[in-house]
Amino acid sequence: MDFSFTEEQQMLRDSVLRLLQQKYDFDTRQAIVKSDQPWSPEIWEAFCELGLLALQFPEEKGGFGGSITDTVAIAKVFGKHLLVKPYVSSVVLTGSILAASNNPSAVTHHSNILSGEKTVAFAYEEGRGTPDPRLVTLSARKTEDGFKLNGEKRMVLGAGQADLLIVSTRIEGTAGDANGLALFMVDPSRDRLTITSFQTIDGRTAANLRFDDVDLPSENLLDLDAFDVIESVISRAIITLCAEAVGAMGALLKITSEYASTRKQFGTPIGSFQAIAHRMADMKIAYTKARSTMIYTTALAEAGETKTRDISILKGQIGKLGKSIGESAIQIHGGVGMTDELSVGHFHKRLLAVDTLFGDSEYHLRLLGTE
Amino acid sequence: MNIDFGSELDAFRNKVAAFLDEAPTPAIREAGRKTTSAFPPFEEAQAWLAILIEKGWAAPGWPKEYGGTGWSVEQRYIFEEEYRKRDLPPLLPNSLKMVGPLLIDLGTEEQKSKYLPRILSGEDYWTQGYSEPNSGSDLASLSCRADPDGDDYVINGSKIWTTLAYKSNRLRMLVRTDSDGKKQQGITFLLLDRTDYPGMETRPIDGLDGFPECCEVFFDNVRVPQSGRVGEENDGWSVAKHLLTHEREVSASSPALKRYIERIREVAKAEPCPFGETLADDAVFQRTLGELEAEIASLEHFEKLAISGHDISLDPALPSMTKIMNSELVQRESDIMRQLSGLEGLSLELEAIRVGSNVLPMDSDMDLISMPFYLKSHATTIYAGTNEIQRDLIARTLPAG
Repeated sequence: MDFSFTEEQQMLRDSVLRLLQQKYDFDTRQAIVKSDQPWSPEIWEAFCELGLLALQFPEEKGGFGGSITDTVAIAKVFGKHLLVKPYVSSVVLTGSILAASNNPSAVTHHSNILSGEKTVAFAYEEGRGTPDPRLVTLSARKTEDGFKLNGEKRMVLGAGQADLLIVSTRIEGTAGDANGLALFMVDPSRDRLTITSFQTIDGRTAANLRFDDVDLPSENLLDLDAFDVIESVISRAIITLCAEAVGAMGALLKITSEYASTRKQFGTPIGSFQAIAHRMADMKIAYTKARSTMIYTTALAEAGETKTRDISILKGQIGKLGKSIGESAIQIHGGVGMTDELSVGHFHKRLLAVDTLFGDSEYHLRLLGTE
Repeated sequence: MNIDFGSELDAFRNKVAAFLDEAPTPAIREAGRKTTSAFPPFEEAQAWLAILIEKGWAAPGWPKEYGGTGWSVEQRYIFEEEYRKRDLPPLLPNSLKMVGPLLIDLGTEEQKSKYLPRILSGEDYWTQGYSEPNSGSDLASLSCRADPDGDDYVINGSKIWTTLAYKSNRLRMLVRTDSDGKKQQGITFLLLDRTDYPGMETRPIDGLDGFPECCEVFFDNVRVPQSGRVGEENDGWSVAKHLLTHEREVSASSPALKRYIERIREVAKAEPCPFGETLADDAVFQRTLGELEAEIASLEHFEKLAISGHDISLDPALPSMTKIMNSELVQRESDIMRQLSGLEGLSLELEAIRVGSNVLPMDSDMDLISMPFYLKSHATTIYAGTNEIQRDLIARTLPAG
C-alpha cells in the first residue's frame, strides 16, 4: 500500500498552488465573485497552459492520460482557494462524457474544452436534487426526424456561459428505472429552451433550464442506455468535489486554530478555554477522518475498484464532517465569523454546496444503511 | 394544577385572530414570509408596529400605565401563538423588548417621559452599542471611553455588532469612564439621542446572507450630554446585567418554532423521497421531525411553567437555559429546512428576498428563506453571550460550580 502522491503529482499540485497564491487570494476571489464576470479568464488560461484542462483525458483524445489522483491533487488546492471555475462542470463532467462518446461532433466539442476555447455544462439535477440517475424524468420523445425534450433541470453549473449543454433525459420508463436514460447535446440558443442564470451561495454560476417541446435532430444523441456513463462521471465529479471540500476543511481548521490562538478574551487566547479547545480537537478529528476517506477512496478509484458504496461513504462523510467543521469555525470566530468579509463563511457555504450536489450526506448515509 | 387557559380566553383568541387576519398590509405579510432572523425587514416591521400601536397592542410586555396591554400571561401567550401562525414579521426587539423595559425599571422620570412615548409611537428606533472589536464574550473589558467634560461626555472608540445602526436614530451604549480597579466597575450606561453626532460614523457590515444587519460605529471626540446616563457613573455594568435578563428572556419562543415545523410538514408532504413516496411518509424524516417536535414541546412546557410563575422560574439559570434551548432549536430547525430545500437552497436570490422587489422566488417561499435562515441562525449561539458563556453561567448555578 502507498497512499502518497507521486513526485509528479506533488509538482503539479505545487504549481497550481503557486499560481493561486500569486493570482487568486481571497480578496481577488471576492472581487471576481462580485463582478459581472463568472470567473477569471486569466486563471482559466493559466489552467490551460498548465495542462489542467487536458490532464485527466487519454492521450489518444488529446489529453495527458492522468489518473483521478492527479485531479484530486489539484482539486484540494481549488478548495483551499475557494476557486470559482467551471472545472467540475466542463472538464470533469462533460469532458468525460464527450471523451467517451464516438459521436463525431463530440470529438470537436471535446477538443474545444481542452483548448480552453469553450465550456460545456451538464444538465442533470432536477427538483430539489437528483441523488441517483434513475430519478431523472426530463422527457425525450422520439419524433419523425429526431427528439422532443420536455421538462426542467435545476442548478446546472456553468450553464449560463456554456457553449453547449449535455442533458440527461428519460427516453422510456419512469423515475426509478436505470433503463431508458439518454444523453443529448443541446445548443443553449435552441428555441423553446429557457435558461435562467443565477449565482450560487458559494460564488459559482448556475442556471435553471426549462424545455418546452425543444426539438433536437437525431445526431444530437450522445448516448443511449446512458445510466453507466452518467453514474461513472458523477462518481468522478463527486470525488473531485469532495477533494475540494477537504481542501476547504483543512483551510478552515488552520484559519480557526490560528484565530483562537491570537484572539484574546479574559486576558488569554480563547483557544485555551476547554470549550473552544475541545471543539477544535473535534474539528481536527473530523478533518482527519475526511482526509483519510478522501485519500483512500481516490486510491480505490485509481485502481478502478470503487463501488457505489464507496462513493456513498465518501460523499456522506465529507458532507457531514464538512458541515460540522464549518459550523464550528463560525462559532469559534464569533461575530466576525458571521460576516461576508471573512473567508470563514464562504468556506462554509462551499462545503454546504458540495454536500447538496449529487445527493447530500443524509441521502448517501441512508443508502449505505439500506444496502 | 390546572392546565386550562380558561374558556373565557376563547373569545380573546378569536378577537386577536380576527384582527391579525385583517390588519396587516400585503407588504407586511410579505416581510413576514421573508423574515430570516429576529430582525425582520425594517420598514415593514415599523409599518406593522404603527398598526399595532394604533390598536394599542404594540407592547404586551409593558405595564399598562406605560402603554402596555394589561394582558395576563395566558393572553400574551395566545397573542404570540396567533401572531406566529400567520407568519407575521416579529416587531424589532431593541426598543420594545430592551430599552423600554429597562427605562421602566431603572430610568429617571425625565428619561421615561422623554423616550417611552417615542418608542411606542414608532418615532424612535434604538440600536445597541455593547460589543467592541476586542470585547465580545469578555464584554466587561470594553475600552470605548467617555471622558466627563462639563455637562457632557466626550466619547472615543468603537462599537461593533450594533444591529441595524444605519436604520436607527438612537443608540444605547456602554462606555468606559474609569480604567482603575475591577473592569466591571468603571463602566457607564449611556443613551444617545442621535446616531449622527459630529464625529460618529456608521459602517454597515454584510452578513453571511449578503445583507447588512450589523454595523460598526466609530466615535471620534463625540460630545453627548450626561443627562443620557442611566444609573450612576461607573455603575453601568449592573444596568447592563439587568437589561441582559430582558434580552435573554425574549419570552415564548416556542410558538415561532412550532410554526416552522408546520411549514416543514407542508413542504415534506409534496416532496418526493428517493426511499419512498413522499418525504412526509419517510420513516427517517419522521424520526428527525418527531425528535425536533418533542424538543420544541419541552421548551414550550418550560416556557409555560416559567410564565405561569412556577418555581422553575426562580432558577437563576433560567435566562441562560432558555437562550441555549431556543438558539440551538432554531439552528436545528433551520438546518432541516435547508436540507429539505436541497438544491433550491443553493441559489443566491438577493432580489427575490427583498420586500417589494416583485421578483418571484425560483421555487417555494420556504426555499427562498431556508438558506439565509440557516446561515443567520448561527448568530443566535453567538449573540447576547455565546452559548459557551451561557453554559459557564449555568454550571455556576450547580453545587460544583
